[in-house]
Amino acid sequence: MIFRVAWRSIWRNRRRTLITAASIALGLIIAIFFIAMAEGVYEQIVNDGVRMQAGHITLENPDYQMAPAIDLRIGDVENIRKYIKKIEAVEEAKLLIWGQGVANSGAGAVGVSIMGVEPAVEIKNSPLARDIVAGSYLAEDDDRKVVLGEHLAKELKIGLGNKIVITTNNARGELVEELCRVKGIFRTGSDEIDGYFIQIPLNFARKVFGLQADEATQLGVILKRPQDQPMVMEEIKSALANKNIEVLPWQQILPEVASYIRIDRVSNWVFQGLLFVIILFTILNTLLMSVMEREREFAVLLALGTPVRKLKGQLFLESVFIGCLGCFAGLTLGGLAAFVLQIRGLDLAFLMPEGVTISGFAMSTTVHALVTPPVFLWTGGIVLGAMLLLSLLIMRRIKKIGLAETLR
Amino acid sequence: MGLLRVSWRNLWRNRRRTAITMAAVALNAIILITTYSLMDGMLRQTVLNATELVTGEAQIHSPGYLSDRSIYKTLENPQAILQTLREQSISAAPRAYGYGLVSRGTKSAGALFWGVDPESEKATFKLPAHLAEGSFLSPNPQKGIVLGKKLARSLNARLGAEIVLLVQAADGSLGNELFTVTGILKSVGEGIDRNAAIIHLEDYRHLFVLPAGVHEIAVNTGGRVSLDKLSAILPRLVPDSEVKTWRQLLPALSDMLQLSGASMSLFGAIFFAAAGLGVMNTMLMTTYERSHEFGLLKALGTSPWRIVRDVAFEAWLMAAVSTVFAVILGVAATLALQEYGLDTSALAGETTIAGVVFDPVWRAALSIEAVAAPVVIMWIVCVLAALYPAAMSARLDPVKSMHRV
Amino acid sequence: MNDDIRKIFSGKRKVGSKHVHSFGRRAILIFLPLAIFLLLGAHPVRGETLTADDILNKVDDLYRGTSSYGMMTMEVVTAHWKRTLSLEFWSKGKDKSLIRILSPLKEKGTATLRAGNEIWNYLPKVNRVIKLPSSMMSASWMGSHFTNDDLVKESRFADDYNCRITFQGPRKGENVIELSCIPRPDAPVVWGKVEIVVRQSDYLPIVINYYDEGLRPARSMTFSKFAKMSGRTLPAVLTLVPVDKPREKTVVVYDKITFDLSLNNEVFSIRNLQK
Repeated sequence: MIFRVAWRSIWRNRRRTLITAASIALGLIIAIFFIAMAEGVYEQIVNDGVRMQAGHITLENPDYQMAPAIDLRIGDVENIRKYIKKIEAVEEAKLLIWGQGVANSGAGAVGVSIMGVEPAVEIKNSPLARDIVAGSYLAEDDDRKVVLGEHLAKELKIGLGNKIVITTNNARGELVEELCRVKGIFRTGSDEIDGYFIQIPLNFARKVFGLQADEATQLGVILKRPQDQPMVMEEIKSALANKNIEVLPWQQILPEVASYIRIDRVSNWVFQGLLFVIILFTILNTLLMSVMEREREFAVLLALGTPVRKLKGQLFLESVFIGCLGCFAGLTLGGLAAFVLQIRGLDLAFLMPEGVTISGFAMSTTVHALVTPPVFLWTGGIVLGAMLLLSLLIMRRIKKIGLAETLR
Repeated sequence: MGLLRVSWRNLWRNRRRTAITMAAVALNAIILITTYSLMDGMLRQTVLNATELVTGEAQIHSPGYLSDRSIYKTLENPQAILQTLREQSISAAPRAYGYGLVSRGTKSAGALFWGVDPESEKATFKLPAHLAEGSFLSPNPQKGIVLGKKLARSLNARLGAEIVLLVQAADGSLGNELFTVTGILKSVGEGIDRNAAIIHLEDYRHLFVLPAGVHEIAVNTGGRVSLDKLSAILPRLVPDSEVKTWRQLLPALSDMLQLSGASMSLFGAIFFAAAGLGVMNTMLMTTYERSHEFGLLKALGTSPWRIVRDVAFEAWLMAAVSTVFAVILGVAATLALQEYGLDTSALAGETTIAGVVFDPVWRAALSIEAVAAPVVIMWIVCVLAALYPAAMSARLDPVKSMHRV
Repeated sequence: MNDDIRKIFSGKRKVGSKHVHSFGRRAILIFLPLAIFLLLGAHPVRGETLTADDILNKVDDLYRGTSSYGMMTMEVVTAHWKRTLSLEFWSKGKDKSLIRILSPLKEKGTATLRAGNEIWNYLPKVNRVIKLPSSMMSASWMGSHFTNDDLVKESRFADDYNCRITFQGPRKGENVIELSCIPRPDAPVVWGKVEIVVRQSDYLPIVINYYDEGLRPARSMTFSKFAKMSGRTLPAVLTLVPVDKPREKTVVVYDKITFDLSLNNEVFSIRNLQK
């Protein structure tokens, strides 16, 4: 009974109800949309980063993280890889041999980071393989071939087919010099990547650095769903308990990316929060005014003998209804907008003419949102909760209605 | 004057309604002032973070130095330049650079040596305090060396370790010396982490046989002087030199900040819209409630124009008074936030990204715009929001208006 | 081989004049046809019987023997300074060498030891030995236009290149043979081509030109002041000029050189480096 009264009552002043509900909805739409967009951007950055480098989970020598050196490697990698690939949540397991060295050309010498990779795996996964602008990426049976960034090619004044001599120290500390030829040139848009990284086939890297056939510096695990990271890490850790191998999450391998995401997320939340406060004021205002306006109505009801409790209950329900209306509209429309952005993406090229890099990773100018169910729950929850709290506060005014005065 | 008194009395005829509306306007304005200042503060802080560590807001070099870093391309009279800058209250640090080798025990690596004046560095930049271990160089040349994080690791060097320096001096000879590690830097950025070997300028002069001149003068005013102004003054103060701002020296960072700035402007617009809508909503309701009153006035013979004008003025008056309160409280809140800031370290912690140390404490930055914009917007919204229903009522049949509630 | 033939032919043997003469005459009778054949072979009129590889090996081993010891003066001229160093050097086989600075006084005792692919520097002023990291291989050696890499690579020329004779005949009034050497497909060298021009008469090099991959001249090494040293005729002066900075140069003058002496491996130890 009380439900029906409450429901009808809110529609009696349609404008006020709609304005209040609309404010709530608007706040939610904005919150959901922007949060989804931000999450989409983060996911893309992480995705690109882990696929280009060492996966969502990285297996490496325990001492490697502290002081990366080519002699700190892991062995028996083929068996480990076979085991890992059997885990359902795993999409791919890639091997990396990573070392520092100098790339020499006739025109000069530049310090570089040398990545020994498996061409077949990289082509499927790495954004770097997709960003080839000249020549082609490495192929499975390539030997003395290298792909490098456009910036580096310019610095060394070389092009496709030209020679590079890689100078480095191998796993035994000996100086080695090996020739290779430029097969492809990539442009990721990040000066750091384009000017510093070179990729060579894994087997050639073994030769250069003096590693055995079953050794690598890192094994990267790429997951189908990033959320499975903790579970898969546990599984791998327990399987490798007796081996001298460290299992690390990408957050430790790419700490800058993790930091950037953390900071950005926090600032996003703070702003959403502030926006929410503004909306709350509006709602508070609306509620206050409605109570004031309807003093006469309440006085009549009270005079007719309605228990104060029931009146309060009715008002509370009214707030619940309005809140739910607003939430429903907001969550649905916001969710819809975010979903559309997720599918179609938005090209922000007009904002970022030369492309943007975040801590060395080039962001693509098209952003996709990422809609995550929990977002709906807690934004809707907070809004509804606040709404109800406010109405509780306001209801205290009801007691203060002096019947006689009001009915005058 | 009469209008003022009449309007004021009109407002307070329905005390509660006016109070609520004024509160709405004031609170929204306070939030806008504070948020604007916070956003502005965050952007400014990020720029400071980027520039005050080591790069500075601008750098002065001998023309062509940056393209090949030839040790022979020097700024010849650094003392005079520093003096000129000091007269303009511009803080600057002189630096000389050279390539060479550092070695400890059996490990050695290539390095970029920085010859710096420790006092100037401490006064101008945050780098001397950005140490993971040890301390920065002492004011007198004592063959101390500060290493980049990864360089120290690759040499396995700890505090107090003895480092052999081997360089090709400017006169062609092989300069070599033994230095002691006095400090190890925290992470700054890939380049500095891997290569930086910082020594006293006098030690540098001795090692590299470069008795006079430096390669770079890095300028930092802490945001006091705008970038445009700097780009204009510096070339005048130091003729025959090449001046580059941090945006030109760190283009990737500049892009990232521009992106942040753009998204913040977007947010700012949304905030203003939300606040505006909120206030408009309130004003609309308030004014609609007074339709009865307007109907009465019209029936009494007041012209529609008069009604609208009076309502508009009342709306403005109310907005004005509210914003006075809002400004007082808003500025107070902002100043508090400027002084103490919001500490987000629990959520994010101190982090370094691409050479920028992000301060976890958010500080607001108060400015004229931060106060003026919200105030003006509130005034406009209030007046407009009142005008619409007033105009509607003023045109309607008084009887209809009076029945409206 | 030539020496032996000359010795036999001239009959110079310290056995006693009579013996010598009779031996010599018999030698002539027996060996004359052989000698003539060999002579013809050893001093070919056209130079075709001495292959490109042979010439290459001669150039390679120019300042080497099974071992060598000597003194040289190195003058380096750059756009900003000019320096002259006095150096002492030892070498053994193809991959051990030790070079020590004798003057100027400021740098006396500074030494470079090369063994295989590794290079160590000794710095007397601080009394420390540094092993050169791979990142410094392309850096200049002792401030000259030679790089540390040159020091390591100088013995591997034959391993790294395939050479062909591309010209024979007169050039600037002298008969020369030009070898064009292209790096082998896997050789870790940045050059695109190396041209070696030798004198036809004694296969001593006159000039070596280095070209980058685009076959543009990168640097040029000229040999001059041919003189007899320790029984061999050698160009005593080597001048290296970078093509992009033609006013700069590094000039190496061999003041003294002895070949095939007995050198202990100890000489090429790190301990000896520090003396």
